[in-house]
Amino acid sequence: MAPRLRASLLVPLLALALLLAACRVGSTPSVQPSFTPASPSATATTVASFPLTLTDDAGRAVTIPAEPQRIVSLAPSNTEIACALEACDRLVGVNDFRDSLPDDVLATLAQVPDVATFSGVDREKLVAQQPDLVLAAGNELTPSADIAALADLGLPVLVLYPETLDEVYADIELVGRAIGQDEGAASLVDGMKADVVALTDRVAGSSAPRTFYEVGVYEGVIYTAGEDSFLASLIGLAGGEPITGDAVTTAIQLEDLVAADPELILLGDAAYDPSITPDAVAARPGWEGMAAVTGGRVVPMPEDLLITRPGPRITEGLEILARAIHPEAFD
Amino acid sequence: MRAAATVSSVGRLAGGPSLTRAAAVLGGATLLLTAVLVGAVAIGSVGVGLGETAAILGRRLLGLPLAETWAPAAETIIFELRLPRVLTAMLVGGGLAMAGTVFQALLRNPLADPYIIGTAAGASLGAVTGIVAPLLLPVLAIGAGTAWLGIGLVQALAFAGGLGTVLLVYAVARAHGRVPVVTLLLTGYAVSSVLAAGVALLMFASGRALGAVFSWLMGSLAGASWPALGFAAPLLGLSFALLLPRWRSLNLLLLGDSAAANLGLDVEREKLILTMLATLATSAAVAVSGTIGFVGLVVPHLLRLAIGPDHRLLLPASVLVGAALLALADLGARVLGGVPVGIVTALLGAPFFLYLLRRSRGTATVAAA
Repeated sequence: MAPRLRASLLVPLLALALLLAACRVGSTPSVQPSFTPASPSATATTVASFPLTLTDDAGRAVTIPAEPQRIVSLAPSNTEIACALEACDRLVGVNDFRDSLPDDVLATLAQVPDVATFSGVDREKLVAQQPDLVLAAGNELTPSADIAALADLGLPVLVLYPETLDEVYADIELVGRAIGQDEGAASLVDGMKADVVALTDRVAGSSAPRTFYEVGVYEGVIYTAGEDSFLASLIGLAGGEPITGDAVTTAIQLEDLVAADPELILLGDAAYDPSITPDAVAARPGWEGMAAVTGGRVVPMPEDLLITRPGPRITEGLEILARAIHPEAFD
Repeated sequence: MRAAATVSSVGRLAGGPSLTRAAAVLGGATLLLTAVLVGAVAIGSVGVGLGETAAILGRRLLGLPLAETWAPAAETIIFELRLPRVLTAMLVGGGLAMAGTVFQALLRNPLADPYIIGTAAGASLGAVTGIVAPLLLPVLAIGAGTAWLGIGLVQALAFAGGLGTVLLVYAVARAHGRVPVVTLLLTGYAVSSVLAAGVALLMFASGRALGAVFSWLMGSLAGASWPALGFAAPLLGLSFALLLPRWRSLNLLLLGDSAAANLGLDVEREKLILTMLATLATSAAVAVSGTIGFVGLVVPHLLRLAIGPDHRLLLPASVLVGAALLALADLGARVLGGVPVGIVTALLGAPFFLYLLRRSRGTATVAAA
């Protein structure tokens, strides 16, 4: 009886001690944000009428009581929008994915903590930053459970999910209204529209090659632009005829790709993985007969994030695409 | 193994454990649970002082007239984020461990866990449908974020899927008014396989929601909130209240169906009641946390090794220790940057279980069955 009783107490206590020790290792002080008094870090430049109620891309009505001074951005595209609207110094929390952010944005955000990762939001860290506006992303880029939880806490959460160029413009204007930068947003959008007109004029008149944009190939499954997707519409604007995959999975079966016979293959994944080269593509079984491969028109993309990130620099992405599809127009 | 367990449990059928022993075991487990509660609420990715934590809890829970010296964000973190999550972890852990204990005895199978006769597959299909359907049919997205009784579409479908699947399995396994244990197990396996194929199909079509699906299937307490707890707590509370007094039936069922019937137990009726109560607890737990593994399998074994197979003590102890261990595992999951807690329970639970098995090799009560 006695040894068994002792074990009954020791076993759970041992487990407790082990786990607590493990936890202490895990939470080093350097990653722990501490509370700082909520001080306005920027003064209002435009006088907008707050409180105001906006409808976000998820169809939710979001009420913003006063001009936000402490903004959290949960996606890099939102970060770029806020910074392009001169609200970079109002950001108090961002997504930990900082690749390809403009250098000045990276410098401004150097001391701003990460409150979200690819897999979700650290709600405690987010709340500790005492934000008065949260810019989330739709379609599970910000998990819907996180959006619901933050909204339940009474935080204004604006969900952005642009699926076309027009919706990017609309979202920039939406953020502009939300943070009291209506005029800045209007002029930013005007500039972008002018850039797009200049680009489409440049490629107008050329014939549109059947264009396959390779997002990635994983375990034999080929991912590309989905049917009616943002990426597909950009390829169209850049003067190509997009070959698209399934609208939801964005996958295309090799048979369908062979049947579509691309005249141009753009390797978006080559921007991340240098082993993906035109030679490697030509060596793939089934790819050797495609017009793009026989005609030598397989092009590694120097950049993918600018093309797939729906922010203010999407026009730069569009230009990269246009240059890849119609190099002759830029000579 | 079964013979050894039987000999030792027959001796205790009449008298049960001594009062002092029961008090020591349950008192120790309660103490552990309290320590875990304090620790898990005080520790997280944002540092809030222990004194501050205690003051916030004292003010909000006990209504103590304490001056608000902390940042409002600290109060939100402690009271709105951590406390409901820790309490949900405890409720789910307790429910799963109790259901695991019940199924291991009922099915006389040491590999039984709360999910074994179809709860996991049914709940998964329900939850994944709830996650993916609004993406495939945008019409459903309208109102998908709304909550009834504190829960959303995903939780409601998971709960209904778990409960409904077991009802179906039980009905299919029934023949001539009897449900043989082996038939129940095999029927559960077959039905689960069909449902699992449905889950896989939906995952294939889930696009960007795959991350959410994955997190749910691994089991995660990230969705915990006061309203969700308000849904699960009464259901789990009910199953605790109705199951804990049925320890005698479980002790008798360990002897086998015919022996239990000879000793005066209405075997088929008891099996149905026990299965449904354990499934109610499991479905309610799964609805708010996803399919968290290992707690329901390992905790009953761990306790059987420590305190023996008498369900009078084993059932309440499994509730308390299951609650404490899952809250601890979730604390680990939170501190590790929000990994699904199911990964932590598997990573720590399985090796710890192996260690216990090896240490206890040769002693009589390795497993109940």
